[in-house]
Amino acid sequence: MFSYIIRRLLYAIPILFGVMLITFLLFFIVQPPEFRARAILGEKARPKQVQDWLHDHGYDKPTYINGRLGVAIDKRATPGKPFYDSLFVNQMKRLATFDFGLSDKTGLPIAQTFLDGVGPSLCLTLPAFVVGFFMAVALSLYQVFVRYSALDRFGIFLCVACMSLPPMIYMFVGQSFLALQLPYFPAYGFDLHGWSTVKFLLLPVSLMVIMNLGYDVRLYRTIFLEEITQDYVRTALAKGVPQSRLLFVHVLKNGMISLITLVVAHLPLLIMGSLLMENFFGIPGLGNALFHAIQLGDAAMVNAFVYLGAILYIVGLILTDICYAFADPRIRLS
Amino acid sequence: MLALAALSALFIAGCGNDPNLEPLHKTRADGSPWEVRYAAMPDDPRSLDPQFAYDQMSHRLLEMVMDTLLEYHPFKTDPYEVMPALLEAMPQRSKNADGTETYTCKLKRGIPFQDDPCFPGGKGRECTVRDIEYAWKRMADPKVECPALSALQDYIAGLGEAYDAAKKAGKFDYSKPLEGFEIVDDQTFRIHLLKAYPQIVYWMAMQFTSPVPPEAVAYYDGHEHPDGPHGKMVQRPEFKWHPVGTGAYHMVEYKPASRVRMVRNPNYHTVVFPSDGYPPERADFLRQFAGMPVPLVDEVQITIFRETTPIPILFKQGYLDGMGVGKDAYDRTVTTTHELTPEFKARGVRLEKDLDVSTFFISLNMQDPVLGTNKKLRQALSCAYDGQSYVDIFWNGVAPVAQQLMPPGIFGYDKNYKNPYGYDLEKGKKLLAEAGYPNGIDSKTGRQLELTMDSSATGSEERQMTEFVQKGFQQLGIRVNVVEDNFAQLLAKEDNGNFQILDGTGWGADYPDPENFYMLFNSRNFPPEGKNACRYKNPEFDKVFDQMATMDNTPERLELVNKLRGMLAEDCPQIFNFHKAFYTVVQPWARRTSTNMLLEGAMKYQQVDPVMRARLQKEWNRTPAWPPYVLAFLVAGAVGYAVWFNRHRNV
Amino acid sequence: MPIWLQNTLVIASFALTAWLLRRGARNERWQRAWKIMKTDLPGMVAGVIIAAYLLVGGADLLKLSPTRSVLDFLMVDVVRLHDEPTKASYSAPFADGTFSITKPEPLKFPGRHILGTTQIGKDTFVQALKGSSTALLLGGLTSAIYLPLGILLGIGSGYFRRWVDDVVQYIYSTIMAIPTILFLIAFIMVFGKGVGTMAWALALTTWIGLCRLLRGETLRLTERQYVLAARALGQSHWKIISSHLLPNVMHLVLISFVLGFSDVVLTEAILSYLGVGTPIGTASWGQMIDGARGELSREPLVWWNLTASGVALFGLVLSLNIFADALRRGFDPKR
Repeated sequence: MFSYIIRRLLYAIPILFGVMLITFLLFFIVQPPEFRARAILGEKARPKQVQDWLHDHGYDKPTYINGRLGVAIDKRATPGKPFYDSLFVNQMKRLATFDFGLSDKTGLPIAQTFLDGVGPSLCLTLPAFVVGFFMAVALSLYQVFVRYSALDRFGIFLCVACMSLPPMIYMFVGQSFLALQLPYFPAYGFDLHGWSTVKFLLLPVSLMVIMNLGYDVRLYRTIFLEEITQDYVRTALAKGVPQSRLLFVHVLKNGMISLITLVVAHLPLLIMGSLLMENFFGIPGLGNALFHAIQLGDAAMVNAFVYLGAILYIVGLILTDICYAFADPRIRLS
Repeated sequence: MLALAALSALFIAGCGNDPNLEPLHKTRADGSPWEVRYAAMPDDPRSLDPQFAYDQMSHRLLEMVMDTLLEYHPFKTDPYEVMPALLEAMPQRSKNADGTETYTCKLKRGIPFQDDPCFPGGKGRECTVRDIEYAWKRMADPKVECPALSALQDYIAGLGEAYDAAKKAGKFDYSKPLEGFEIVDDQTFRIHLLKAYPQIVYWMAMQFTSPVPPEAVAYYDGHEHPDGPHGKMVQRPEFKWHPVGTGAYHMVEYKPASRVRMVRNPNYHTVVFPSDGYPPERADFLRQFAGMPVPLVDEVQITIFRETTPIPILFKQGYLDGMGVGKDAYDRTVTTTHELTPEFKARGVRLEKDLDVSTFFISLNMQDPVLGTNKKLRQALSCAYDGQSYVDIFWNGVAPVAQQLMPPGIFGYDKNYKNPYGYDLEKGKKLLAEAGYPNGIDSKTGRQLELTMDSSATGSEERQMTEFVQKGFQQLGIRVNVVEDNFAQLLAKEDNGNFQILDGTGWGADYPDPENFYMLFNSRNFPPEGKNACRYKNPEFDKVFDQMATMDNTPERLELVNKLRGMLAEDCPQIFNFHKAFYTVVQPWARRTSTNMLLEGAMKYQQVDPVMRARLQKEWNRTPAWPPYVLAFLVAGAVGYAVWFNRHRNV
Repeated sequence: MPIWLQNTLVIASFALTAWLLRRGARNERWQRAWKIMKTDLPGMVAGVIIAAYLLVGGADLLKLSPTRSVLDFLMVDVVRLHDEPTKASYSAPFADGTFSITKPEPLKFPGRHILGTTQIGKDTFVQALKGSSTALLLGGLTSAIYLPLGILLGIGSGYFRRWVDDVVQYIYSTIMAIPTILFLIAFIMVFGKGVGTMAWALALTTWIGLCRLLRGETLRLTERQYVLAARALGQSHWKIISSHLLPNVMHLVLISFVLGFSDVVLTEAILSYLGVGTPIGTASWGQMIDGARGELSREPLVWWNLTASGVALFGLVLSLNIFADALRRGFDPKR
């Protein structure tokens, strides 16, 4: 098992390298650092200041390698330094060591923003995920229970309709009706102290559950349906096991295994919070920070977010693999 | 799904929808109620370092924490006036024979800093002339990157040299005296100016010149120290996130993107509530506070709203004490005749109009081969911009259309002046024909004139504004292509001159003086060093400007200011949009005392009636009892149906 | 772009799609699917609705002059739904005057705006219709980029296997590792806003799904007897791919094309809300929804902009989803 995990981890390295390459291409080649220097130093920056800033951040190094690259020599090359003293290598090193540097806009350390945002983000996404998961399982099981009936078809239609609405509509309507017309919930705000946290989270969490429900129920329904066509179910039915017991014991148990392996990939990404909800309801999580970074054109922050997202995704993949390995011992050996 | 909603509805009914935090205390030491104000702020501050921060949000917070040497009188706004704050009296100006000038300032005695762990025993020590000197030296420290430096180094002796020396040495030497800042005794200091610069008093009303205790800068270094109980290592914030000053409040909590909490400084006695200069319409109300110690309110909670939609909701529910009435909130608060809606009137809400000291404009590039050489074309564009409709649509008709560069309240502003190239489409078409583009067609090539307009467009409303301007220009028959930039891109284009028309920027007064506005067209102020984004170059203009800049406000100066105004109107390097103004609605329990727009809220002079607020909040947030029952009924129905459905199926 | 070129391109792409569908209809499998689908009422209704959207969108993409499309002509000169002049502001459906800005001014076209007008006096109904052209343009461009890419790489990696497969797998697992929305945001931030950039960004994330699907299917098909036989007979790779593999996976391409379209429309709305969506002047549903952000907390409520754009978007996405389901059932009746 251990060597299996190690193997999976090693597979992740080239992918992570690819992600670094993509972010480097986007944020250093397509959009050169000079541009970002301007964004940071703002309206009053002089050319000298821009140069200083580039130097301070190590962005004035030659792009790929220090020295001759084919026929072209980078004009920023410095003769005394080793050939690997370049922007590209340094950037790789920084990402690999999680040294995200400072935000272009606010000048705050990005790592600090991440640490501050994880708590509020998880406060929102974790309950939404857990509640949403159990509700989706319950509803989809019921749909499988009444499968192919008119009720089932109506259920599918509802799911598709639910998926076809852009998430903003849920937020706008939810806030307008549940926080303004019927003032049950606070319309905005957040606080990380005991009960009051719950007060702030109820509305966004419920909305998030509802907006994801359609997709989940439909997906889970297909998974359970697949399970129900298996041979062992037919055998059990033939033996006279009642329909409800069959469904809630056999199908649920076996379906759950594939469900969990499916769902576990999303777990790490919960840390990233919700891009849309957090800004709209004033939850100071990672999604909010990202939203703000987009609005301000904060490239350093978006760059860091892309990289973080990729890492979390890969962690999710590895978790999935581990789950599979637990569920199916054959995989471990292959 | 429904069950969850029903449960949460039932739960929340007992929980309340108040988004504000519990106040720190219920009552003051003497048993009277603890007073809190709830305010809103659209964004985070960029820094709370008084020598670095230059944005509005930072200013708003720093104003509460830091005292300035001088301070804008909270009530005198036409014209604006400064009064002594940390200084005992206004500085004494004396002209020297060689053209230099000296200002002698005397500090008030016995003003302590706020209590803070950075001082021995946590007790704030007295603020001295040395702290002011330290702050002024910080302005010249390259590490601080003080934005005021570029303006001040031309006037204050030794400031620029100190900066250059530190830049060379790699470190600022705080032990060396600053040439322009002479310490006379414990209480007195002199400022030496290289040339006449009457605007210096306005700089003394900004936080750049506020005293800073060196202990605080040394203490708050952002590293870990054994400050915790039993010597536990705790990270101290950086100084720029933990300001220490002599101000009326100290900041006890700041959560980025969320909220700020300020609590009164119990040792504050720099100024008291002024007893003069009241505007007549609120004199009766203000008189009751005359001479009272400030701050009047014990705690200020500021929520940071990056998303503006909820602000009107929270105001309506009574959880915000006041708000600026933006586009979204307008129709629900103000009726067609510029009065409050009956609902709000019945609630006792007040409607007040605030006029910002700023001007927004569309810049035309004077170095552009098409626009720069063709005065008539620029005039035609100016005539095609329908300022009044723009203001009606996007600013609810509140903001005055700008007829000139300077906003009201500044010396030389004439409210009867009309821009000769204000909105007049027919005239615009005529000018365009004279410019060589009859009906927008280039008479030489026969092609339609195409212009490119750069515009800041991050929000949906900004997009609509840009569309409006575009639509206006195109009525001339020309074609205007819009390039959407974020603000950084827009500034970059402003700097490198890579634009034809640039929409979406403005100028807010640093201080209420014509020099602060007309310098935007001084040819020495070309970007990236200066802010002459239009790249307007007119030797005549420069000459008059230089003469006007250092004069006192005399009739001769007025004449020069008018001359500058005339030149700009004729040459039309810029199309003036509007002076920002907005309605502010204020809850009955939080009537505003000061509305001075050069102060950011003047929080220490504001007052509140907590008893009335508690009563009205309860009244305004009654939730109907039926929805939870309806929901519960629906859920029961759904479950019942499901059960019934199964029975029938299984049979 | 000159008008004639744009018009030609629009007509050409419609014609190309129609030709491809006709070509596909020769396939026996497609004929069987069509028979099943004909009995599927919701699917057929959805298909008709989609066709209507396509017609409206197409009419708006065909230009008569740089600023006037066929749809404008129909709306303004035939149905007489004018925009209000610049000065006007919100007006309610069928209202006679503007919606109380400084003073309610009489409208130039009272009672004609069946869904009211937007903030700057544009007719909401017309704007909602025009939204379909942006959706169509964006969906069309995106598909034009990602379909060839996905088909080529998917079949290629499944057929040639070995290093081709490894490279393709590496590329898509790297892009997949970046959460889609983050990739889109970063891409558009760096390359600047615009319909073209957006189409590229969306295409670069969408091809992966198709590629993986086709790769799996090709892997399965190449084990089949007839492919092995063709190989043994020494047919060229191209011949095998074009006459044996491609026709047998085209139905998958069709389904993911329909689903991809609905994704594009939804994503455009989200990106517009985030401020990295379509540029100014494009009448898109995302822009309208974003603009309606604060309108719901107004009093009286301005509901028509959100409703119009929401319903228009919802209608298309829902129809596409239902139609895709119908297609899937048609091609795979066992499920």
